[in-house]
Amino acid sequence: MSDLAATNDGGRRKSIMNLLARNGILIAFVVFMIGFTLANDRFISLDNVMGVVRSSAILGVIALGVTFVVISGNLDLSVGSMMSFSTIVVLDLHDKIGPAFAIPVMFAMTMALGALIGFLVGYLKLNSLIVTLGMLSAIHGLTLTYSGGKNMDIADKEGTWFAVFGQGHVLGIPVPVIIFGVLAAILAVLLARTAFGRRVYAVGGNGVAATFSGIPRARVVFLSYVISSFCVAMAGLLQASRSMGSQNTVGQGLELDVLAAVILGGASLLGGSGTIFKTVIGVLILGFIQNGLLLVGLQFYVQYVVTWVIIILAVWLDVAAKRGRLWSPIA
Amino acid sequence: MNVKLKTMIAGTTALAALAIGGAAMADGHTMKIGITQNNVGVDSYQTTYENSFIAAAEANENVDAVVLDAGGDVARQIAQVQDLIQQEVDAIIIWPTNGEAVIPAVREAFNAGIPVIVTNSNIAEAGFEFVSSFSGPDNVTQGSRSAEIMCDKFTEMGIQDEAQVVQISGQPGYTTAIERQSGFDDRLPEVCPNVTIVETQPGDWNREKSQTVMEAFLVKYDDIDGVYSGDDNMGVGALNAAIAAGREGIIFVGATNFAVGYEAMERGEYWGSIYQSPVDDAEAALQTAIDVINGEEVPFLNYFDTPKITQDNQSEFTKPVF
Repeated sequence: MSDLAATNDGGRRKSIMNLLARNGILIAFVVFMIGFTLANDRFISLDNVMGVVRSSAILGVIALGVTFVVISGNLDLSVGSMMSFSTIVVLDLHDKIGPAFAIPVMFAMTMALGALIGFLVGYLKLNSLIVTLGMLSAIHGLTLTYSGGKNMDIADKEGTWFAVFGQGHVLGIPVPVIIFGVLAAILAVLLARTAFGRRVYAVGGNGVAATFSGIPRARVVFLSYVISSFCVAMAGLLQASRSMGSQNTVGQGLELDVLAAVILGGASLLGGSGTIFKTVIGVLILGFIQNGLLLVGLQFYVQYVVTWVIIILAVWLDVAAKRGRLWSPIA
Repeated sequence: MNVKLKTMIAGTTALAALAIGGAAMADGHTMKIGITQNNVGVDSYQTTYENSFIAAAEANENVDAVVLDAGGDVARQIAQVQDLIQQEVDAIIIWPTNGEAVIPAVREAFNAGIPVIVTNSNIAEAGFEFVSSFSGPDNVTQGSRSAEIMCDKFTEMGIQDEAQVVQISGQPGYTTAIERQSGFDDRLPEVCPNVTIVETQPGDWNREKSQTVMEAFLVKYDDIDGVYSGDDNMGVGALNAAIAAGREGIIFVGATNFAVGYEAMERGEYWGSIYQSPVDDAEAALQTAIDVINGEEVPFLNYFDTPKITQDNQSEFTKPVF
């Protein structure tokens, strides 16, 4: 409907309105940024912005992969404990077989878990909520068994190039930010410009129709989970390299933050809609809210509440912009 | 001889208990001791504690231990206490997931005639009447000792009249976190009245979270002279943030000396901490439970000592295994 309006002669004004309507979440983002800047002028300093983007990169990389899963009409609640797994595994293997082997082995192990989930949800058609909720717990147990419950630390933190992923800089830009950016660009193209990407939307939008159109639904779902687990492995690498040591629970609770970011970006939990760009915006909003509240110095207990009030406000602004009014008399 | 006598007395007491409370104990030979721990996987301290506890229980042929873990979940811990009551154990050791919420379960055990020993971090005062003994570190003293370590260092550096400190506390609602914070908050103004604590935020016992919190502190405050963290795990997270930001000369003081903290002290990046051994902690808890079952006099607050450790004296301590 708004597309139609834009082509009418109402012209320019309408097309600006249209642009705003499509990007309500961007407006919300700008509003928060201005608000926090007014509250503390250091908020917008280059150091702080870089710091927030860098610490958001880990959440962000995971959210990129989960975007595929969500658009295909499924959920992935296992990403938090899967990241704990990959972080612990890569740290442990680093000291045993060296970083050059540890990294690919860790990716293979993590993606095997993703393939297992993809098989269960895609080919066996099990409910993704149940499968990934179960895997959340199972992978946590796997991690604890693997580590014997101990913290993993790299013994020689100075004598390894492993720190480059989490702590390095290229041309003054933190490496995690570069990895996040490059991965976002690649996955954005994959999702928006390839046949596979269109199939992901089709499967999530109407799975039955997709099947009758000859789209291999099971394989698309399977691949979405493999992509998601690849992203989780990347995040685990960033996490491990950033702190060079970790607890078994490092990713605990991350799955909800990731989902919040993806939904903030406007992806529908029912599947079929969402973009990588909007997910990135969702991730940044979440990162800046948490940082902004710390800088404002709100008491911690209050921060939980305020974070979610802001998220719900943002979603509301997004929805309101889409329908052109703040509330709707019908649904 | 004396030991035998004690065992006999204990046996008699136990028989009486058997008659009254229904606690099953076969003439004092085997004591069945149940433990429900807080969250074993979450950090190496708790993992080492569990291993040491199991080792100590196995070494003692009179003890039959039922070892459970609540996984940080209050509801699960309450269920575990109820299970242990059903199993008619002779004593329950609890490492509370939450100092308030476990009180009803502790009361239930008390009403069933089973002595409860709280380990590591105490429950809230309202529950004291149902508890036989608390075995663990004195967290308030630990907090004040950390304040003294920090003040001494500031005095040595000559900045005791202007220094600014930020604090990263443990998980909100967790007694250890609250006690260490209050020990630190109360003691620092006594020893260094002109040092200010500019802000306190929780790091949830989590290294990564503390790193993020410290990053925000570094942006917010140009002048930070000291960081006090509720444990070394968080302290090292904060240290990582300071190193990444290129801020030098900050005095880091923690509590519960971890291996990573000990190593950072060796490198000269981390100033001091409180030495607390999970092995001592676990063994003290088991011994307290045995003493309570044997009817011996046990102080209600049964603390084991946790000394100060700094770069100056760390060679006197072995590196923590966790």
